[in-house]
Amino acid sequence: MKEQFNNQELVALDDLGLSEAELFTPVSHDDLESEKITAPRYSYWKSVFRVFFKKRINIIMLSLLGLIIIFSYVYPLFSGYDRFANILNGASKHLSPSLALERMGQNIHWILGSGGSGESTFDAVWNGARISISLAFICAAINMTIGVLVGAVWGFSKKVDLIMNEVYNIIANVPYILLISVLILIFSANFWTMVFALTVTGWLSIAYFIRTQVIIIRDREYNLASRCLGTPITRIAVKNILPFMTSVIVTLLAIEIPLYISYEVFLSYIGMGMSDMSLGKMIYSAEPAMLTPGWEFEFWSPVAVASIITIVLYVVGQNLGDASDPRTHV
Amino acid sequence: MIKYVFRRLLHGLISVVIVVAIVMIMIYSLMNRDLIFAADPLFTKTANNQRIAYKYQKWEEFGYLDYVPYSDYLIQLRNSGEIDEETRTEAVKLGKKALNDSRVTKEYVKKFEETYSAKGYTVTRLDAMMLGRKYAAGGKEQLFAYKDKPILSRLWEYIKNVFTVDNIHAVEDEAIGDRWIEFTWYDPAYGGDTFCPAIIGNGTKHKYLLYFDNEFPYIHQNLLTISLGTSYTVNQGLDVFDTMNRSQGSYVPRTVYYPTGHVEESADDLHTATYVAGSLGSNVVYKERFTDNYTSVMTYKSNMSKVGFSFVIGIIATFLSYLLGLPLGVMMARRKDKLVDKLGKLYIVFISAVPSLAYIFLFKAIGGKLGLPTTFEMDRANYLMYVLPIVSLALPSIAGLMNWLRRFMIDQMNSDYVKFARSGGLSEDEIFTKHILKNAMIPIVHGIPGSILGAVVGAIITERVYVVPGAGNLLTKAINFYDNGVIVGVTLFYALITVVSIILGDVLMAMVDPRISFNEKAR
Repeated sequence: MKEQFNNQELVALDDLGLSEAELFTPVSHDDLESEKITAPRYSYWKSVFRVFFKKRINIIMLSLLGLIIIFSYVYPLFSGYDRFANILNGASKHLSPSLALERMGQNIHWILGSGGSGESTFDAVWNGARISISLAFICAAINMTIGVLVGAVWGFSKKVDLIMNEVYNIIANVPYILLISVLILIFSANFWTMVFALTVTGWLSIAYFIRTQVIIIRDREYNLASRCLGTPITRIAVKNILPFMTSVIVTLLAIEIPLYISYEVFLSYIGMGMSDMSLGKMIYSAEPAMLTPGWEFEFWSPVAVASIITIVLYVVGQNLGDASDPRTHV
Repeated sequence: MIKYVFRRLLHGLISVVIVVAIVMIMIYSLMNRDLIFAADPLFTKTANNQRIAYKYQKWEEFGYLDYVPYSDYLIQLRNSGEIDEETRTEAVKLGKKALNDSRVTKEYVKKFEETYSAKGYTVTRLDAMMLGRKYAAGGKEQLFAYKDKPILSRLWEYIKNVFTVDNIHAVEDEAIGDRWIEFTWYDPAYGGDTFCPAIIGNGTKHKYLLYFDNEFPYIHQNLLTISLGTSYTVNQGLDVFDTMNRSQGSYVPRTVYYPTGHVEESADDLHTATYVAGSLGSNVVYKERFTDNYTSVMTYKSNMSKVGFSFVIGIIATFLSYLLGLPLGVMMARRKDKLVDKLGKLYIVFISAVPSLAYIFLFKAIGGKLGLPTTFEMDRANYLMYVLPIVSLALPSIAGLMNWLRRFMIDQMNSDYVKFARSGGLSEDEIFTKHILKNAMIPIVHGIPGSILGAVVGAIITERVYVVPGAGNLLTKAINFYDNGVIVGVTLFYALITVVSIILGDVLMAMVDPRISFNEKAR
């Protein structure tokens, strides 16, 4: 080819009588430039958010979530909530919203009435929400981190799989109510004990779920090819498998966070919760108020707020999980 | 297949034993023992030495340790004939301090210390606490030995005692006389002339080993008894298994023919008679009715057992949820992204996001508004009171079934065999019911044994909210009352049910789907 080309007679370009623009001009070759892909730029996280914000419901839910977070983290700083501030004022106890607004003054504190020790239900609910949300986020963060890491190793190594399956069969059979109550009795029933109790075995079920997912993807052809090319296992795990699992992990997170709030409510209800006035504890202590005429708000407010928080977190998480699946990015 | 199931079962049993061991370590070693006295009114009334002795005595009752007071040791010696009553009364008198003991007392105290130290016990002597010349409150001198039960021997003893086969040497009392087992065509418990076969024993723990009556399942046995551990606070002195399975409610009297010929309207169930040494002579009431020491009887009660209530509610809810959940799931998958699907999704989000406590209370409030009874009353039989607990249990599991069946069916809808069936000209109805549903049902089938057996366990929140006297709350109650025997027993029961239901699920799945095989060769 090359020789042929060299042997050809060269024609001077000027002889063709063409303008500068029409003529071929030599282009300098750049190795770096040639590697660039000319398709529109694809950024994973940008696409995730583009798909996520396309749905109007997500924007509504996200702003609701923002509002909840402001109310549970910023509002208590200003409300000056003190549960026993009105304890001596007999007229302030168990008031319905209309009565409370009338007696205690027309402000935001009293729009949900007052509770058994004369405290404002509205303030109490957001104080409780702060504790419950913090608990859920901290537990989810710890459990997801440990669960995903252990699950990845568990799925990869057949030796670890053999041992961990037995461990899982045993630990999964220890009633978790018993475990939590024993831990609460050993330590005291405070916030960090609760975190410890919910995370000491909580990561195991997440790890098990991740393990199953890893096993499904582990032996696909592209990983096989990667291993044939000599890619180290850790790189396969981080570069080949983890991106595949992002949507699974986000979906799991969407289920886990509301689950911890529900757990906390449940544990408080059966009398094994923490001593802090979380939402669950509020529901537990206000249960007799449910059927008492005029006191219903004390019971239904924490129930409603807990439900709204869990629904918002669940929907946002689910849709974020859907959006983080690259197949929806087209 | 059988070999495989057997191996799985063995494997499961081993893990159940380990679970029991872990639970035992948790409650007997990790938990603070002093907590059991928190709500004990007697404890606050005791003081000084008496309080210490009381603590050990209670700990023995709760199963933490073995506690032997000096006086019990002496009674033991007397019963075995080693010393006479006179020496015992002499030896039992402890001095205020070890120095003040009399000669006889010193001898036996030494013996006591030697015997129990050799067995690994810790012997403790508390000197008298004086206030001037009088004893301080509860300050009397104490001498006792105690030993913590090591976890392995505790576990072994527990497992050994789970199944007991009754035999004619079960009763240790010498007063029993001849030991025999007899078969009779005419059960004396029905007056002696009604035709009703029974096997009766003397020397066995239960008097009736096999008998018939008019209650399901008509033939009953006492030959093999299951004991999961004795309850101490929840249901004093009763085994966990009996606590779960014994009928509850008010007494149901019927005509009872006692062995002496005494006929009376009574709730006593003579078929449950067990041996209590020396009971006949101790009580005039017994003397009138019984001719031997088989005097401890249970009673007929009008209502189902704890497990019975939980099972009835659970099984109806399970049945309902499969009956409704499956067709709804299919409908959602068939009309994907249409109105039905969207409504179904909304419902699923509601159930899976909202804390279960919140929607159960919501159902309770709505049900109450509709005029349904919101609390369970055992003695006022009213079938309407079952409605709300069943609905509260069924609605969440319907959501779960809908969600999973829809997911599995949609996953199947893009498979090649569906495209092939469609190109072959099958109608959508045929494709869905004959092909997709069959494949999508396989993972669902795996959960069926679990949900049926799980009904026995009961539901904690539902039963608590509607005050159902079921088995669901047994564990939480036991934990709240520090009833260690019940905690261990219930854990064993739960773990067994989980293990068995997973194995049954696998077997059922293999039966439904011929592609799944547990045979060694096929794999």
